[in-house]
Amino acid sequence: MKKAVQLEKIGWVVFDLLLLLLGWIFLVTCTSAKDTFPDPVSVFSMLFTSFVKPIGTYTMWGHIMWSLYRVMVGFTLASVTGIIVGIAMGSSKIAEAIIKPIFEFLRPIPPIAWIPLAILWFGIDEASKYFIIWLGAFINVTLNSYVGASRTDETLIGAARMLGAGKRKVFTRIILPASMPQIFAGLQVAMSSCWMAVLVAEMVRSNEGVGWIIIRGTDTGNTAQIIVGMITIGVIGFILTTAMSWIERKVCSWNTTL
Amino acid sequence: MEHNAVKQILSCRDVSKTFYGDGKCTEVIRHIDFDVTENEFVVLFGPGQCGKTTLIKMLAGLEECEEGSISLENEKITGPRPDLGVVYQTTALFPWCTVRGNIEFGPKVRNKDKKETRKRADHFIDLVGLKGFEDSYPKALSGGMRQRVGIARAYCNDPRVLLMDEPFGHLDAQTRYMMEEALENIWQKEKRTVIFVTNNIEEAIYLADRIILLTNRPASIKQEFKIELPRPRDYVSPEFLKLREIITQAMDATV
Amino acid sequence: MDEKQQKLLEHEKQQRAQKRKYLMISVVSVCVFFFVWELITGILHILPDYTMPSPVKVLDSFIKKFYTKTPDGEILPVHIITSLKVSLFGFFLGSVTGVPIGIMMAWHPRFEKFFRPLFDLIRPVPTVAWIPIMILWFGIGLGAKAAVIFVSAFIPCVVNSFAGIKQTSQVHLWVAQTFGASRREMLFRIAIPTALPSIFTGLRLSLGSSWMALVAAEMLAANKGLGYMIYTSRSLGRADLIIVGMLTIGAIGAILSYVLGIAEKRIVKGVSR
Repeated sequence: MKKAVQLEKIGWVVFDLLLLLLGWIFLVTCTSAKDTFPDPVSVFSMLFTSFVKPIGTYTMWGHIMWSLYRVMVGFTLASVTGIIVGIAMGSSKIAEAIIKPIFEFLRPIPPIAWIPLAILWFGIDEASKYFIIWLGAFINVTLNSYVGASRTDETLIGAARMLGAGKRKVFTRIILPASMPQIFAGLQVAMSSCWMAVLVAEMVRSNEGVGWIIIRGTDTGNTAQIIVGMITIGVIGFILTTAMSWIERKVCSWNTTL
Repeated sequence: MEHNAVKQILSCRDVSKTFYGDGKCTEVIRHIDFDVTENEFVVLFGPGQCGKTTLIKMLAGLEECEEGSISLENEKITGPRPDLGVVYQTTALFPWCTVRGNIEFGPKVRNKDKKETRKRADHFIDLVGLKGFEDSYPKALSGGMRQRVGIARAYCNDPRVLLMDEPFGHLDAQTRYMMEEALENIWQKEKRTVIFVTNNIEEAIYLADRIILLTNRPASIKQEFKIELPRPRDYVSPEFLKLREIITQAMDATV
Repeated sequence: MDEKQQKLLEHEKQQRAQKRKYLMISVVSVCVFFFVWELITGILHILPDYTMPSPVKVLDSFIKKFYTKTPDGEILPVHIITSLKVSLFGFFLGSVTGVPIGIMMAWHPRFEKFFRPLFDLIRPVPTVAWIPIMILWFGIGLGAKAAVIFVSAFIPCVVNSFAGIKQTSQVHLWVAQTFGASRREMLFRIAIPTALPSIFTGLRLSLGSSWMALVAAEMLAANKGLGYMIYTSRSLGRADLIIVGMLTIGAIGAILSYVLGIAEKRIVKGVSR
């Protein structure tokens, strides 16, 4: 029974892909779209050769590694700072009163809008990219850690105090683990936001990375390169979010809602 | 006069409590005064929402007394302290700790010897009948099993007094009977002073050495009943039913 | 009772004092923030003007920008209106198509089976990655930007409407069925009301992401608009105008989501959140 359902699902996926491919072929052979739209053969051949034949200075692997490296630097910095600031706000009323108004003031500004200022501050090199990526993730992580920490069940805190936990133990053993699911939700969103930020940062200013691939494609009118870049971006994005939820399931296996 | 024979452990002296907020004052507890002797099983019995939970919180030191005082062996209770153990209606298990993690929580945060803690935990896991579930998370347990963990957790911290706030309130009737028997059993083996809150008359008579009947809000002591039926008690014995009738009538008079 | 009344007043006074204390801390915090900013820029000149202007300068530029066209060729209101027009247009298109598709996908299994794989295919691609291809297809005019914003608004709308309809309680449907409701009636009277809060969540997310996509698109290809303004100001070293632009972007984003929040409160009734 279950197998049949699965089989049907796969059938639909194959059917959709075939339909898409047919539509694509029709578009490039029978309409005038062929001037601005690459044909499937050139896209896929480029996709496969790009892993051995460089685009610009690097092969596709090189570009992917560049982008991933940038994301990892920004994301790691943001997780650490965001969790600290968020939990501080969530567990101390004074910290909340100090940080919240400034945070709320800066929050509505999309991270991407910081790019020009970041370039002025940090130059056009890596530092400004890290800043943008950091910012994109920081806001989400902070917000979620804050909500997680401030919504810690009072009864659990009471129970821990009754069992003899002091202030510090209540923090490390109750508030921190209790905020974990919320923090992970934040990290999940932050990861997508980082992936998006790195693309924009690379599109605006860089010589490598998957964002560069697509904007370079636009500049040279190479549509196949753009589509190849988009496919890569989609696949990597998918892998990143899947990896994040896998880690979440491992770390928060106790969580009832998972 | 019998108080001379046994040691008095907890005393509640003329305690009152009013909550202020939302522009009104809600008086929840009015002049409650009682003593508990060592290893006594006291049931605070009263209608729902009458302020029993507040009373338990005050006994635990989680809520301040407005008037009067509560003391454990002549020492005033001013804040939470590990020699008072609480079993909550909602179990309040830490969802990120396994059964063992929950039960060992108290000794661990108090930096007790690890080997000793493990042995104690094993003992109580066995006693409440959770052998084989040591490494499960609370989400994998049924309501009754969770409450067993809650009881074991409180016991494992070796408190002088156990405070139980309607621990079986959320359970279905069948499980409730089972848990009452289990608790009685545990208590017989590991004697402890227990203050047990409930609004279930059968539960009260089944477990109590003494029932303190509370009035509706503001809660004050209406009457006390000594229950001297032999344990384990039979829910349908004539003496049990008689007591049940007497106490029910007394309670109806309060509402 | 008089004593109690006294205590109540006392207690409320204490609570108000507590609240006032934290409010004071917040006010002081904001003041310190601006003071330090002013101190290191306007007063001590630790940071040069072209990387970090003083708050006073920013305010001054903000006011002047209302009637000065230099250096980017347009006054602030024109940039704002240009950006708003494009993003609202894209958002409108995205939500008008996204919400029904999400609902249909959740309500008709066939529809879901067909569209799900296609949708899952485009979903992992961040919206900003659509910018280059859209520029190539539609040029740098309104079309490309509207198309990018459409994509960015479309996806959250579909996801949340879908999830909302899937939340419909089976019991409610059974009740409706026993009263003889048709499938169509069940959709409109039960499933959609159930899904409304979730649909609004989708709209709010869509609005946020379309506003962001717009800024990205305008930085890459435009000759008007807030994103264009901040990006041009960068190459001219006008940090004051960048900050004016950023704050305007932030403020408009906040206002848009606030307006949507009001609409939500009006429309979604009887649902506790």
